[in-house]
Amino acid sequence: MADQDTPLINELEKGPWPSYVKEIKRAAKKNAAAKDLLGVQEQSFKDRITHWKHGGIVGVTGYGGGVIGRYVDMPEEFPNLEMFHTMRVNHPSGWFYTTEALRKVCDIWEKYGSGMTNFHGSTGDIILLGTSTQNLQPCFDELAENGFDLGGSGSALRTPSACVGPARCEYACIDTLDICNNLTHEFQDEMHRPRWPYKFKIKVSGCCNDGVAAIARADLSIIGTWKDTLRIDQEEVRNYVKNGFDIKGIVIDKCPTKALDWDEKKKELVLRAEDCVRCMHCINKMPKALRPGLDRGATLLIGAKAPIVKGAYLSWVLVPFMKMEPPYDEVKTLLRNIWEWWDENGRTRERVAELIERLGLKAFLKAVGIKPVPQMVYKPRANPYVFFE
Amino acid sequence: MTEGISEELKQKVLDYLGTTSKAKNRDVARAIEVDKALVDKAIAELAKEGKIEYLYLGTSYIQLKQQ
Amino acid sequence: MGKTDLGPPDYRTMLPKVIEKNYGKWKYHEILKPGVLKHVSETGDEVFTVRVGSPRLVSIDYIRDICDVADKYCDGHLRFTSRYNIELMTPKKENVEPIIAAVQKLGLPVGGTGNAISNVVHTQGWVHCHSAATDSSGLVKAIMDELYPYFISMKLPARLRVALACCINMCGAVHCSDIAIVGVHTKPPKVDNSKVTALCEIPTTLSSCPTGAIRKDPSNPKSLVVNDEKCMYCGNCYTVCPAMPLADSVGDGVAIYVGGKVSNARTAPMFSRLAIPYIPNNPPRWPEVVSAIKNIVEVYAKHAHPEERMGEWIERVGWESFFKLTGIPFTEYHIDDFTHAIDTYRTTTQFRW
Repeated sequence: MADQDTPLINELEKGPWPSYVKEIKRAAKKNAAAKDLLGVQEQSFKDRITHWKHGGIVGVTGYGGGVIGRYVDMPEEFPNLEMFHTMRVNHPSGWFYTTEALRKVCDIWEKYGSGMTNFHGSTGDIILLGTSTQNLQPCFDELAENGFDLGGSGSALRTPSACVGPARCEYACIDTLDICNNLTHEFQDEMHRPRWPYKFKIKVSGCCNDGVAAIARADLSIIGTWKDTLRIDQEEVRNYVKNGFDIKGIVIDKCPTKALDWDEKKKELVLRAEDCVRCMHCINKMPKALRPGLDRGATLLIGAKAPIVKGAYLSWVLVPFMKMEPPYDEVKTLLRNIWEWWDENGRTRERVAELIERLGLKAFLKAVGIKPVPQMVYKPRANPYVFFE
Repeated sequence: MTEGISEELKQKVLDYLGTTSKAKNRDVARAIEVDKALVDKAIAELAKEGKIEYLYLGTSYIQLKQQ
Repeated sequence: MGKTDLGPPDYRTMLPKVIEKNYGKWKYHEILKPGVLKHVSETGDEVFTVRVGSPRLVSIDYIRDICDVADKYCDGHLRFTSRYNIELMTPKKENVEPIIAAVQKLGLPVGGTGNAISNVVHTQGWVHCHSAATDSSGLVKAIMDELYPYFISMKLPARLRVALACCINMCGAVHCSDIAIVGVHTKPPKVDNSKVTALCEIPTTLSSCPTGAIRKDPSNPKSLVVNDEKCMYCGNCYTVCPAMPLADSVGDGVAIYVGGKVSNARTAPMFSRLAIPYIPNNPPRWPEVVSAIKNIVEVYAKHAHPEERMGEWIERVGWESFFKLTGIPFTEYHIDDFTHAIDTYRTTTQFRW
């Protein structure tokens, strides 16, 4: 594929944002499949349509997931893409790496694949884009020799992910990295051998800023919070104000429950703790002066998903507060109970939230042994259609 | 993972798989009337020992290793 | 059979020394300038982070380039963010400017912090996906070339999250973004009944349709027919049955949703909502999509109060004002008619003109 053969995608080498087309061209210098990838990308730009076909079942021994089969629909024109499978490689929690580990992955992928990657996929895995069926097993074996394993795909537990957490964030109320790592190791079988109605995602955020978007996409969202009151360093508050910070406009007026006041006389921030809903806004704006409380744990929410099939859901409160200490037995038991009920009752391609909507939250809570509390709802029902037992 | 999984339970799983072409973990647990979490562990061990294998047809099944 | 079920590498073996030492002890942070963070620990230690934009779809040589920078200035450690940015961390303040110079030499931007437009979370598109209704990497590149000034600065009222999904499966959290770009099909699937028996399981295909638009052909139970009137082109049937392709070079395009958020700060998380139902695909640079997004960003930047996310601003001024200020026409497509539609109908006499 010479440069003049790809006039459309060449356009995307221009401009200030780094260009993925340049990246494919770099890989194309060393790899025939990457070269064909340029061609098929150009073809799609010309035809305004994808040229990839559904995957057949491909994988590595013992696993039912982690590899996405992919084939081009123009194999005569692009023979090196006849098979172009994706491998999902489970990232270390928080996406921290040594360069040694990363270079190893690169070397393995140079040997067995196209040399193109995603750092990272939306779910969090390292995505190795494009290899043949016969290379899957040796590539996987060599990854495993070097401490890497595949992530989840299909109707299984998907690779859990976590925000940076206590590694480099003062907001973290739980050890997101340890929770993510611990749960991922505990549930390897559930991740690698799909046997549920559909996918199940777990995401762990250290605070309710929710840096991994757990509440939008995780069937079980684990979000750090605290139960006591936020901590105030009045001296630092005064420093903010002294330096011209608009405490009234940016903090006091923006507090959703009007829990804060600025006492101009005493030069003090006044908190009505009982009104605070721990939304993090004031802490976000004055991180030097305000900090989360010390009685820390997580809010567990259930059910988030994208639109397919019955519409998108945000996850909703299941356990308002749970202490999160290793070995995290309470959350593990809860997960097993959820999966048991869902696996027993769910239809094919029915996410847990859709099943709960079909059978009722009441039935679900009973099945997983959780008592109803007002924190689970915005408001109680308005209709009189109650099923008494 | 290995603690608590008796050879007896693993044998029960194998015996059941001998009566059927393929089964889901849940079917095995129900048939031999053992807690599914324990059966899951027994099956994972049997797979590692090479006595059973996984079969992926939309969902995961297990079967006795074909000789 | 080799090793299986190892699980991911232990993150503890990947942490830089200063992170390991101060794990869980961080006290506060400051944004020194766009793309540069300083975290201070209770121990008095400091770590400086340079945040670097990345195209996500990259070659292994790109990763090696980044590793070279990390080896030189960061003791051989680095991390990525959930929005694909690269973070280069060092306890040495004097390393910050050399890191910035090194990544800029690689053609990579520094930014994405605070009230900025950070990297665009996106999917695979035409580079790898079978169900894509638009491209991802190409469209993201075109959009970020235009929004670049917002990546390297912090001049917006609040942070603004952009995400793109190449079909309505929506991998990633696009449906709760300030601006969500979604690939849409607009034509029903064309059933290839000669392949249905071989490729598809009929009951699964029937039940995959959220609106019940697929049924068996009464005259031939091994064939399927689609009721075009009931089809809303979600492509769920195509995912389970490859004999029902619905990609169309003329009909496929892009929809834009706005006002979503995942953070709980101030207001509860919210979904993005439909602003522009359809813009046809126009590669390589999708100029109509890019200018529509730029317009929304600029109107938001001009009218929102400080600290107001897109959705919070729209809720305050009302959707009628959003459509008026942006000049986007409100159509019948904007009115929900799916499962929870009634909840979106206005049950008050309060509104604006």
